[in-house]
Amino acid sequence: MGYRDVAKVGLGGPVGSGKTALVQQLVPRLDDAGYNVGVIANDIMTQEDAERLQASFAGRIDEELVAGVETGACPHTGIREDPSMNLDKIDEFTEAHPELDVVLIESGGDNLAATFNPELADYFMFVISVAEGDDIPRKRGPGVTQADLLVINKTDLAPHVDVDLDVLEKDAETVRGEEPTIFTNCKAEEGIEEVIDNIERSVLFA
Amino acid sequence: MTSSEALLTALRLSDSMLPVGTYTASYGVEQYLNEDDIETADELGELIEGYLRGVIGPAEIVALGHAHRSAAADDLVGVLAADERLGAATLPAEFRDSSMKAGGKLLELLDEIDDGPFAATETTGFLGEYTAACEDGLAEGHYPVVLGVVCQQAGLGCREAALVSAYGSVTGLLGAAQRLGRFGHTAIQAQLSTLFPVIEEVCEQYYDADLTAMCSFAPLADVRGMAHERADRRLFMS
Repeated sequence: MGYRDVAKVGLGGPVGSGKTALVQQLVPRLDDAGYNVGVIANDIMTQEDAERLQASFAGRIDEELVAGVETGACPHTGIREDPSMNLDKIDEFTEAHPELDVVLIESGGDNLAATFNPELADYFMFVISVAEGDDIPRKRGPGVTQADLLVINKTDLAPHVDVDLDVLEKDAETVRGEEPTIFTNCKAEEGIEEVIDNIERSVLFA
Repeated sequence: MTSSEALLTALRLSDSMLPVGTYTASYGVEQYLNEDDIETADELGELIEGYLRGVIGPAEIVALGHAHRSAAADDLVGVLAADERLGAATLPAEFRDSSMKAGGKLLELLDEIDDGPFAATETTGFLGEYTAACEDGLAEGHYPVVLGVVCQQAGLGCREAALVSAYGSVTGLLGAAQRLGRFGHTAIQAQLSTLFPVIEEVCEQYYDADLTAMCSFAPLADVRGMAHERADRRLFMS
């Protein structure tokens, strides 16, 4: 068993866009659906972050299947040019838990150019937040244009940051063509089922 | 004279593009910076000179040289001895882990590449035997030892292999410091220039040393490396 024997889903996106919140929504749903899930968080930085992440999945997944990977202050390198340490961690997961079905790999917060190495992630979603402004999709960053799924999170903040969700939707469609975009509000658990459907259809049933 | 293929292999093995995870290791430098022990580029250069004289030369290059000579003599037991001794001489657990992970990833990478310059190091021969020994738990696969074997199989001389390894270690430490601290790119390059004669000196001194001469003496770096295991803020694996 090794990293090639398990489905790998990457979550990238800028700092504060809600990647961790989305992982925290996805894991219980995947667990309830009967999948054995592992979670890797890149650059969680502090011990407190690591403990909080493990605690949030307590009773759901084995503590040793929630791990951090340090990327030497190079978050983009860790998921793109040299994903060897992430792959090493997945190998550790699969050796100890051959029953594993899927590993969620959360990148360290990065810029709009961050994409996942296809040998690391079979499928990757790019998570942006409404609060980052409604011009993000039309900047055409590789993360936005190349992701299998674009997630636009924190929709509840739109009226407070003067962002028009219709503009975001239209721009996302323009730059991504047929590739899907989903609006979410992780806090209110909105849009999460749609994300799960996409993962199941594109990765787990593929 | 070094062949073009051997030179290209040396460049490839020294390149930060080589995907073996060496950029995730700081070998204690992160902890020095966490504890505000390095403030200027000159202090950083002095620290890395200490690594060269205390660890890189007398431990890593000695292991690499012995592994290179053993590979040339088809002596797997000799390579395993270099590996075992380097592991024993490396006190902080995270230093050993970083070294083993990078070594393992380099062997794995070579195992999956069939064409081009790395074909000269194909894993069906001696390198394959060493890879199998690592997979069977008979060897730990420390990076300098793996480099020594790979360089020998690719046609690089022992002295050149030592220079490749020491250069990689020094730029790895400088790069880690640059990403964590406030050091300018020209200041870092100036330190690298200053360290060139030291790199050359320690390689000359140790590349053909007997394995029994191996020692590692950098107690402050070892203490920082051990403290890093419990550091609250960590961006590097060591």
